[in-house]
Amino acid sequence: MSDAILTFDDVTVQFGGVRACDSISGRVDRGSLFALIGPNGAGKTTLVNAISGVYKPLPGAQVQFHPEGGPPEDLLAYRPFQIARLGVARTFQNLGLFMGENVLTNLLLGRYIHEHTRLIEGGLFTRRAVKRELAARQAIERVVELLDLGAFRRDSVGDLPYGVQKRIEFGRVLAMEPELLMLDEPMAGMSVDEKQDMIRYIYSAQDELGMTVFLIEHDMGVVMSIADHVMVLDFGQKIAEGTPAEMQQDERVIAAYLGTEMAEN
Amino acid sequence: MTATENPPAQQTAQTYRPSTLQRFLPFIIAAVVPFILGSTTGDLNFWWKAVITVVVLVVVARLAWKWTPRGELTHREDMRLWRTPSDRSWAALTMFGLLVLPFILASDFTPPMGFPWATWFAVVNLVLIFAMGAAAFNLLVGYSGQISLAHVAFLALGSIVGGVVGVQWSGGNMWYALPAAALAGAVVGAISGLPALRLKHLYLLLATFGFHFVMMLVWREYLQEYFGFVGIRFKGENSPRIASWLHWLPGIDPDQNGEFVITGQFRWYWVLMPITVLSILFMVNVVRTREGRAFAAVRDRDVSASLLGINVARSKLFAFALSSAIVSMSGVLASFYIGSRGEDSFNVQTVLNYAIIIVVGGFSSIQGAIFGSAFFWFLPEWFKWAREELWFVRDIDFLSDYPSEIDLAIKGFLVVIILMFKPDGLAGMWRDFKNWLGRTLARSNP
Repeated sequence: MSDAILTFDDVTVQFGGVRACDSISGRVDRGSLFALIGPNGAGKTTLVNAISGVYKPLPGAQVQFHPEGGPPEDLLAYRPFQIARLGVARTFQNLGLFMGENVLTNLLLGRYIHEHTRLIEGGLFTRRAVKRELAARQAIERVVELLDLGAFRRDSVGDLPYGVQKRIEFGRVLAMEPELLMLDEPMAGMSVDEKQDMIRYIYSAQDELGMTVFLIEHDMGVVMSIADHVMVLDFGQKIAEGTPAEMQQDERVIAAYLGTEMAEN
Repeated sequence: MTATENPPAQQTAQTYRPSTLQRFLPFIIAAVVPFILGSTTGDLNFWWKAVITVVVLVVVARLAWKWTPRGELTHREDMRLWRTPSDRSWAALTMFGLLVLPFILASDFTPPMGFPWATWFAVVNLVLIFAMGAAAFNLLVGYSGQISLAHVAFLALGSIVGGVVGVQWSGGNMWYALPAAALAGAVVGAISGLPALRLKHLYLLLATFGFHFVMMLVWREYLQEYFGFVGIRFKGENSPRIASWLHWLPGIDPDQNGEFVITGQFRWYWVLMPITVLSILFMVNVVRTREGRAFAAVRDRDVSASLLGINVARSKLFAFALSSAIVSMSGVLASFYIGSRGEDSFNVQTVLNYAIIIVVGGFSSIQGAIFGSAFFWFLPEWFKWAREELWFVRDIDFLSDYPSEIDLAIKGFLVVIILMFKPDGLAGMWRDFKNWLGRTLARSNP
């Protein structure tokens, strides 16, 4: 638990006059379940976007990814597709699925970085292309089984219920076999049962597949029960960091997060 | 019944595996029978052949349907292009139809009511050429989502390469011109795709349309430099010949003057059909493997695609290169088939024609390009026939006074109708029809 898989330092993202993230620093330990929480508009997704290369943070920021058995990589020097190839995968809060395509295609796209079929090989459907295609299908079969997606294999993703879509997107990042899995509110909009299932899936990704999970979550209850380490953001600022138990006692967290919720009720 | 509907109860109902012979037999029958029918002359009259054709049609479809793996499919079986009974049936039928068609059209049979049998052969060949180009265009515009109007520029590029390699260098060797055009098309296509890295939608459309005019300039300069305003002649001494290593094949006979010139609709069909089928199969295979999936991903959500490790820029350029390479090849084929290309062979109207083809055929479906080009070429022929032969149409002077205008108007009207009521075009209608047929058949013999 001691070595870090991801360290970020002084990450600032600015949109016009708004600082969505204001010099946020932190580290994610290898094999842990790191949770990033905060009320709406706290800058959680912006931070993940900055790490995964979608947004460029202001100069001075440092984001380092430490792949297993390799030298640390400065993620800010890479473009998003290169970051994905290094072993950092993420999901989207409002789904990054390809709605017109079927479940199989969506999951197979998760194997894009592991397959190496060239355009011409694919077009000629050579033996090698077939072999690689078969390997990709076998790899996603494990995901299909784990997430119980077998019944939907050839259904168009856009026609499926929201909970299943969330599961497919989770399946797609699992198929990428990343070292660091960043999940942007994987349980948003789900029913209690579906949330329970998703928690189980996240656990098995962490435990059985040995991935490090970086979880953004809105639901405090969920986070408190599963996270190893919690960071709390509010208005782009890091206001607290520690174990879930510590966070529940922290005054600032209660004020910023739980407090506002109580006031709303 | 079909795995597309995938009802769990029926999926586990029964497991059935045909032997390898059974799997291929319907296709072998479909491949062999047309040639037997075509080579028996004189002793069998047309109607007997027609009866045999229909019988074989039914038998082939039925056997292909029957000998399909059922039950829990392995990955290899699931990956096959023709997976379900209905897919396999239609594939066998299509194969049989494509092989038997030239023999029917070349026969001296005259259909009733002056239906123009002989002219239809030319139309079928044009459909083949256009289907190839339109499928490639649709791969770029519909499937990869890169709105482009530069495809006619690549037809012109094909004609230029055909002129340089096929006429000027080798004196009518289309077989050198085809790979050369593919290569040139891929390189120039990738360059023409560069604006796609920065522009999208309407802006990309305008940029590629600009490329069209640049290419037209190149085409005109090239013509003036080497051929003058009459244009390039791809016929006569420049018409393509059958490669010498194919001369031993039965059915390939020399002309009166001992040459193996590809001329006449029948011979052209046997050149165009395999090339079109193979290039469409190539595109279908690309679409169902890694890079093709990446095309669709980039079309739908490029940010999401890049986070899957897809190099969006590279993927877009690949789509442009592949599409342009195949369009250029179809440009070479069209030049040699039509026989001459002049200054006015490529214009804005041609650009629109291809757009009509893929919109009517069905966006983002390679199959749609085939339906679209069939629609595009058959419809005017059918109108012409109706104007000349149908008694209730023949008497309306207005229709025969403005034939081409009315054709265009009807075409435009149909495009609007299709866009309004059936946005996935003829390919969508075809899918609906197949589903309906499958349901009906499943109900009648469970």
